[in-house]
Amino acid sequence: MEPVKSQPAASSNLEAGFDPVVPSPPERRTTPRTWETPPAPVPSPHLDDYQSIVGTAAIDELRYLARDLKGKTLKMVNSTALGGGVAEMLNRLVPLLGELEVVTHWDVITGGNDFFEVTKAFRNALHGSAYELTRHAQEIFLTYNEQNRHRMQFNEDVVVIHDPQPAALIRARQDAPTRWVWRCHIDLSNPNPQVWEFLRPFIEQYDAAIVSSQSFAHQLPIPQYLFYPCIDPLSEKNKPLDDSFVQKVCDEFGIDRSRPIVTQVSRFDRLKDPVGVVQAFKLARKYLDCQLVMAGGGASDDPEGALVLREVKEAAAEDQDIIILELPPWCALQINALQRASTLVVQKSIKEGFGLTVTEALWKGKATIAGAVGGIPNQVIDKRTGMLVHSVEGCAYQIRYLLTHPEFAVQLGRNGREHVKENFLMTTNVRRWLLLMRIMLGWGTV
Amino acid sequence: MSTAATTIQRAPAKPFYFNTSAHLLRITEYKANTLADLLDALRECPEESIFQHTFRTLEEHHFLRAGFSNDFAHWALAACNEPSLAEALAGVDVREFTSVAELRTRFIQILERYLHEHPSTGTRFADETFYFCASDIVVMPTSFQAHTLHEFAEGIRRVGLHSIHHHFIEARLRIKLMSNDFSQWLHEDAGLTETARSLNRIDIYTATLEDVREQIVQIVERALT
Repeated sequence: MEPVKSQPAASSNLEAGFDPVVPSPPERRTTPRTWETPPAPVPSPHLDDYQSIVGTAAIDELRYLARDLKGKTLKMVNSTALGGGVAEMLNRLVPLLGELEVVTHWDVITGGNDFFEVTKAFRNALHGSAYELTRHAQEIFLTYNEQNRHRMQFNEDVVVIHDPQPAALIRARQDAPTRWVWRCHIDLSNPNPQVWEFLRPFIEQYDAAIVSSQSFAHQLPIPQYLFYPCIDPLSEKNKPLDDSFVQKVCDEFGIDRSRPIVTQVSRFDRLKDPVGVVQAFKLARKYLDCQLVMAGGGASDDPEGALVLREVKEAAAEDQDIIILELPPWCALQINALQRASTLVVQKSIKEGFGLTVTEALWKGKATIAGAVGGIPNQVIDKRTGMLVHSVEGCAYQIRYLLTHPEFAVQLGRNGREHVKENFLMTTNVRRWLLLMRIMLGWGTV
Repeated sequence: MSTAATTIQRAPAKPFYFNTSAHLLRITEYKANTLADLLDALRECPEESIFQHTFRTLEEHHFLRAGFSNDFAHWALAACNEPSLAEALAGVDVREFTSVAELRTRFIQILERYLHEHPSTGTRFADETFYFCASDIVVMPTSFQAHTLHEFAEGIRRVGLHSIHHHFIEARLRIKLMSNDFSQWLHEDAGLTETARSLNRIDIYTATLEDVREQIVQIVERALT
């Protein structure tokens, strides 16, 4: 097959002796122009708003499951009301449960900087980082948990504690019939043993635990349920967009929609292997004309992110077909548009929790190439809902294959969307919570 | 006038009530890192796990037209790179079983034979661990019920796919027959034995569940004309 000529980079034009008076293209923006401040919050959708997406039957199921739970109470406790995936999920989940007349309270624990420094270290240690657990750190953790225990009340039918930060609140458990559940959102597949053994006695006092992947389950004497993370199809990040808006975003960033677009959306983090994506793209482009969009954040407030961004820029080497975008966290609509404009989406992670950017791409019906790590294989069933890869070369080959086999890419995208619809949408998550409540209250299963 | 046409003049003896089910996934203590582990766990795991990784996984992956049969086969291929074992496991058709115990025995037989013929594969580590899961299930009514064949066809068109799975695929474990709720009703209450048989011949492994729904509707509508 004859390789398609790739568009030469501006610097190579000069090196090749092209006429230097040719006007250079307008400078491409790498940061957004019209959305430099956070937009006003969007009101939460109602249950009926999801009907056109998941069907009447799915909403009827939720109403049926909630019917016996009317008047029952649920409390969610986590460590932040804003920012982060847990708060984002609770912001959507709590109103929907309320609409189903399951009274849901959401409390946030308080703590000083010392507490959050310790819990951040715990979090990293549970992800597998080296960490020396000191007596002082244990005291800080327990002291703030005690303060919160005295400040809060736990009179609900079911109390759900999210993540390790408030895990010791289980000490508030009394003889009351309240059922306690620990919801762990973080990767527990290879935890630091010191931190895990410190937390384990608390976790074992709960009635059940919820994890996000089978591999996060530990040998605990309590039932462990699997709740996949989910996306909200009506959120700014995922809602349907007018094509005119998609075009506007592409124009803003100098992306040519008449040519194939390969995109990775991820913060600039080595675990997302952005340099590997640039290398894979360059290998693939020897055979095909295409553009690469690398859209991410995390470089402005994270020294390591800034370093990784510099490495990505060096790897791109001023290639005009590699478009590197630093977007602030509130640019959800722009991310949505970039994903929708893409021909292929890549998520070449080398370590991953669940990989919600994969879920987002699949939901938009995009053929997706992703690293076979963490929760990604739960979403990308190789050659059925996407392509799993293990190397730069493998990623490059799949880019070439999917760009030259568009019908197969369309089929993958269609299957991927259905997979998300069945397993990874907010409505599925609501169903899981309703089922869990029924189980915790001791009725309703066969 | 054909027998079928004569029969449908009268109303079915009993209405058909469309139900559906919802499942919550639980992770059990059983897991496998090798094919030998898989065999051990298949022998010891609860029946709900066999059900989960066969019947239930078909429901979770209802949108795939081909190439997905059960989780054991998928793991044998994707994590153990044993294609011939994967084919043998994938060849197990859940509709040939009216009990989970029989289904478990079939998987154990396949794995025992394979490990006997390929003993070196038994202790080789897989790329990923297989975690045995199980489901807690809630069965619930839908708003659909059929007093006539027209209503039956309409119900099948409109219920959720979980309801189709509940009545058409899972049902044999409940009724302990090589059949399904739709065929049973068509045969026993509507007198449409041939239509009932036609439904039983639909191949669920080469069609999505939405395709299966379409085929059921077409077969029932043929009986109506």
